This record gives sequence, C-alpha cells and structure tokens, in this order.
Amino acid sequence: MPRYAQLIIGPAGSGKSTYCNNLYQHCQSVGRVIHIVNLDPAAEHFEYPVALDIRELISLDDVMDELKLGPNGGLVYCMEYLEDNLDDWLSEQLEDYIDDDYLVFDCPGQIELYSHIPVLRTFVDHLKKWDFAVCAVYMLDSQFASDVTKYISGCMASLSAMVQLEIPHVNILTKMDLLPNKSKVDKFLDPDARLLLGDLNDQMAPRFQKLNKALAELVDDYSMVSFLPLDIRDEESIQFVLSHIDNAIQFGEDAEVKVKDYDADMGDPEDAENFDVGNIDDD
Amino acid sequence: MSDVDLDISDEEKESTRTDFEKLKLESKGKAVEDKPSTSSPTTDVKKPIIVIVIGMAGSGKTTLMHRLVAHCHETGKRGYVLNLDPAVTNLPYGANIDIRDTVKYKNVMKEYGLGPNGGILTSLNLFATKFDEVVGLVEKRASELDYVLVDTPGQIEIFTWSASGAIITEAFASTFPTVVTYVVDTPRSTSPVTFMSNMLYACGILYKTRLPLMLAFNKTDVTQHEFAVEWMEDFEKFQDAVECDKSYNANLSRSLCLVLDEFYQNLHNVGVSAVTGAGMEKFFQTVDACRVEYMENYRKELDERKKEREAIEEERRRANLAKLERDIAESKGQSVVPASAPKKDVLHNEDDEVTDVREEEEEDYDSEADDDDDEEDDDEKLYRYQ
Repeated sequence: MPRYAQLIIGPAGSGKSTYCNNLYQHCQSVGRVIHIVNLDPAAEHFEYPVALDIRELISLDDVMDELKLGPNGGLVYCMEYLEDNLDDWLSEQLEDYIDDDYLVFDCPGQIELYSHIPVLRTFVDHLKKWDFAVCAVYMLDSQFASDVTKYISGCMASLSAMVQLEIPHVNILTKMDLLPNKSKVDKFLDPDARLLLGDLNDQMAPRFQKLNKALAELVDDYSMVSFLPLDIRDEESIQFVLSHIDNAIQFGEDAEVKVKDYDADMGDPEDAENFDVGNIDDD
Repeated sequence: MSDVDLDISDEEKESTRTDFEKLKLESKGKAVEDKPSTSSPTTDVKKPIIVIVIGMAGSGKTTLMHRLVAHCHETGKRGYVLNLDPAVTNLPYGANIDIRDTVKYKNVMKEYGLGPNGGILTSLNLFATKFDEVVGLVEKRASELDYVLVDTPGQIEIFTWSASGAIITEAFASTFPTVVTYVVDTPRSTSPVTFMSNMLYACGILYKTRLPLMLAFNKTDVTQHEFAVEWMEDFEKFQDAVECDKSYNANLSRSLCLVLDEFYQNLHNVGVSAVTGAGMEKFFQTVDACRVEYMENYRKELDERKKEREAIEEERRRANLAKLERDIAESKGQSVVPASAPKKDVLHNEDDEVTDVREEEEEDYDSEADDDDDEEDDDEKLYRYQ
C-alpha cells in the first residue's frame, strides 16, 4: 500500500506553517494520525510536534557561518545538500513510516525552489519512487484575491510551480479569516472566463487585450488553477480542504476496498478505523 | 501586538529621519564629485527613468546593477542608485540611497525575533513607511538625472508580493516613468520547463505591477540567449521543445504556450552579461523604448489609480485620526502608545480590527448563546460517531 504525502509550498509568509499546525490539531481532534516533516532549515520554532526535521541533517546557521553565504545562498546550499542526501538520510528516516502513513512536508518559502532549482522536483521524484502518493498544496495569501490582476499573478506563480513539479496540485487561499469582505473573493474561487476578461480589460492597458483573453481562457479551461478558501478558525473549512487533498491523492480509497474484504473474513479493527476515516472525508 | 514592538518602530522612525537628513547632505556631495564632466543640465524638465531590477535569487541582479552603474559613469549618463536589499553584506557599487543606512537588518531580526525572511520583509516595511521622502529626494534632483537604478532584495517574493514592494513601486510609478526589469538567469533557463515557469512568473509580475516590463537575459557570457529569443518568437519551436523535454500534459503546455505567446508581444527583451558588460548599450536603448511606452500607455491609467489611492489614503487617515481621538479620550491624559504604528500601516490595515471584532463575537457566543453551543456539540458528535 502506498504512503501519502502533502507537500506544502507557497511564497514566504503565505501561512504554510500555520496551516500545518492547524491541520495537525484538526487531525488529532478527528482521531487521524499525521506526521509533519519540517524541510525549512531556517525555521526556528514550531507549534506542532515535528516528526522529522531537516535541521537534524543540516543547519542554516552553520552553513551561513562556515561558508560565508547570505541567507538565500545558505538556504539553496541546504536544500542542495538535502538533495544529495535523499537516498542516505531521508530514505532511512522515512523507513519508520509504513503503509498508509500520512506525512506533511512543510517546505521553505523561497520561490526559486519551485522554479529555478530542481531540488524540489528531485525530492518529489524520490518520494514517488518510494511509493508515496504526493500532492502539492500551494498556499497563497488571500490578499491575492482582492483584485483581478493580483489574482492572475497568483495564478501564474502557482502554475509555474505546477509545471515544474508535475504532481496533483491543490491551490489554497489562506487567511480567509482576515478578509473584511468575503463575497468579493467568491468570484475568484470559481472564476468565470467572461467576467474575468471584462475585469482584466478594465484594469489593463488596451494592448493587453489579447493576453487577457488567453489568460482568462486558460483559467477557465483548466480548473487546476482554481482556489480553495481556507479559514483556519473554522474546523469545517480545514476539513473541506483536507478532503480535497485526500481526494487528489486517493487517500482512503484503498482502505475502503480492503475493509470490505476483511470485514467478510475477519473484521480487522484497525482497517475498520481507516474505513471510517475515509468515509468522513467524503462528506 | 506588544508595546515593545511599537516602541521599536518609533525609534526606527526617528533614526530614519536623521539618516535621511544625512543622506541629503551626502547625496549632494556626491553629485558634485561624481559628475563634473557631464554636460550642463538640459533646460526642459525631463524626468529620469526609474529602472527597478527584479530577479530570482542568484540571477545576478547585484552584479548587473554594478555593471549598469559602471556603464552610466563611462558614457556620462547621470545615474542615481538605490539599494533596497537590507541583507546584502557587501555592495560592489556605491549607492546614493541605501536601505542599510536606515534599517539595520540584523537588529530588526533580533528585536522582533524573526527569521531571515521575516527580517528582510520587516526592514522593507519599515523603509516603505518613509518612502515618500526617498521619492522626494529623487524628485528634487530630477532635472539632473537620466536614470534611477533600483536594486531589490534577493528574495523576489518579498518585493513583488508584499505590500511594501507594491507601495515602493507605485510611489515611483506615480511620479516618474518606471520600468521593471526582470533579470533571467539564462544558463538555468535552458530547460523549456524552467523557461516556462520563469516566464509565467514574469507574466505574474507584469500583472501585479502593471508597468512596462523588460526581460534582461543575464549571463550571456555563459550561455547565449538566442535560444530564448527563438522560443519567444517562434511559437512552434517552443512547443516542440516542451514536448521533447517531457511528457507533461500536452493540452496544458499548449495552452500555456499560447498564453506566453501573447505575453511576449508585450515584452521587450535584451541579452546582457553583467560580467563582460555585453549588451549594455542595448539595455539602455530598451529602457528608453520602455519609457516611451510608459508615457503613451501607462501615464493616464496611473493617474487614475493615484487618485483612487489618495481617496483610500484619505479615508484611512480619517479612520486613524478617529481612533487616535478615541484613544486620547480613553487614556484621559495618561501616556499612550500610538495606535497607528508604522508596521500596521504597511500590512493589512483591517486585519487587527477584524480580528478584534471576531473575538468579541466569539465571547458573545460563549456567554449568551448557549443554544448555539449545543448545536456545535452535536455536530462534533456526528463527526466522531459517523
């Protein structure tokens, strides 16, 4: 049976770690087990228990001190070091997690990692090789849904990560609880090409009309660039997001089928639990 | 938000002010030393072009800046240099205005207990609160300048995606012709997928800033940028390259190619090498072309946006003033920490208010609405026992 993984990516300050923390608490309250892995060598304190920490392998401060690198260069070095040690260190660490375990990787926020440097790509490929079902979860601050041009730029950034990683992809608008006017965001959650085009043409100089059209069509044709709202204060919202991600990596689907077999034979209680979890997700 | 935070920002504010004073003197001194050879200032009120240099970390922004500054000196163009990267340790060129003179990045990190990223972001936020003064400085010397070169933090998202980045860009754009230069790391972009994700990112920047955008393919000494130009000009060729490279969803890549093909129509591009200095003439020619474009296409729109923003600003000021009055009334003459700390101004204004309201609401629920609580309990039970 495969193992499952969420890869939490997105620009700095988009709420990745907060999401991880809330997800952990949510899962605890519904009786589901997840493990959170920290991949950010610059992170310092965590509100969630860290199952596995990249800082055990390498610390950003050491790198910055010893190699005289700036914060950025240091981070890139750390990530490339991780890439080199994927087979030794990470695979060893991940051996503890067996079938059906659910891991969440909290990634650093540097945009370069998702577009320029193939580290994350290699990382994902390795996870896939180790029989993980991986889903990229792209976090975007909800201020990006405040007007149409920002929305497009958010879409582009998300697309750029999507193209690079080539795995199931879920986009999430975070910090919905901070938005004063939620109804304004609704049109971006389920965008309509014509409305979007109209707005874009209003906002941009006339010579961009063709580009606007192409973009609006792209957003319309590919529901991949649609966003899910996340309000971390609201349990249901977390559940909603989680069920979407589970759906993308088909978490629980295997369990359901097998449980039926086992039910007839011996009624394995452990799998029956999984069955329940799967069911809740579908709600 | 603790009192400590606010105190620090006030200190910062003060130091900013004094530093700006110093800067004024320095920049005046520099102008006299640096440009004795240039021709006498032209009589018309020709405004300098602001060139904002943006790029991914490691794309060679700072080196390119160095080269641009050197080129300005060589050719007698009168340039003015701004550094907005608080984390840079040594700057190869002399900056007329340096964010590091105003904000000490290391101190910000320590005082606020932030990581490197948060430190840079906060430094930039603090700087943005005083950015009108920077624009003022540039404006004063506008008649004797040709180019204002702006270096941005290595973390691209901090400049392009943060509120302070937007404030800085808009402050410039509303006063001067402004061009955004997106520096592309050419050797790293030889893979079609990386190229595509780079271009998508650039497209995002175009939509975020709504300013003329030019691509500078850097490091042409390592890899010539002809391949990129070919891809940008010939849709079919790029399509072929993408399909050769990966078996990625053909439909998506085709649509993306189409989008990008339109995107390229609105772009200027130039190949440069920061190391050898190749392509510098072309770079400045392109900047001039962008200036014309700005004047023709962006000016009017920007004026409208400026008006809009002023209206919002006015609104905000009124709200803040009201808040201040309320605070004064509440404190009854005791000393109070100002309600409108600069940090808050820069970030979401409404955030805190919204949160407050929320909390109040929740408290209400707890104390009064017992019925609601019961319902929630039932829901939870349903989850558990389903």
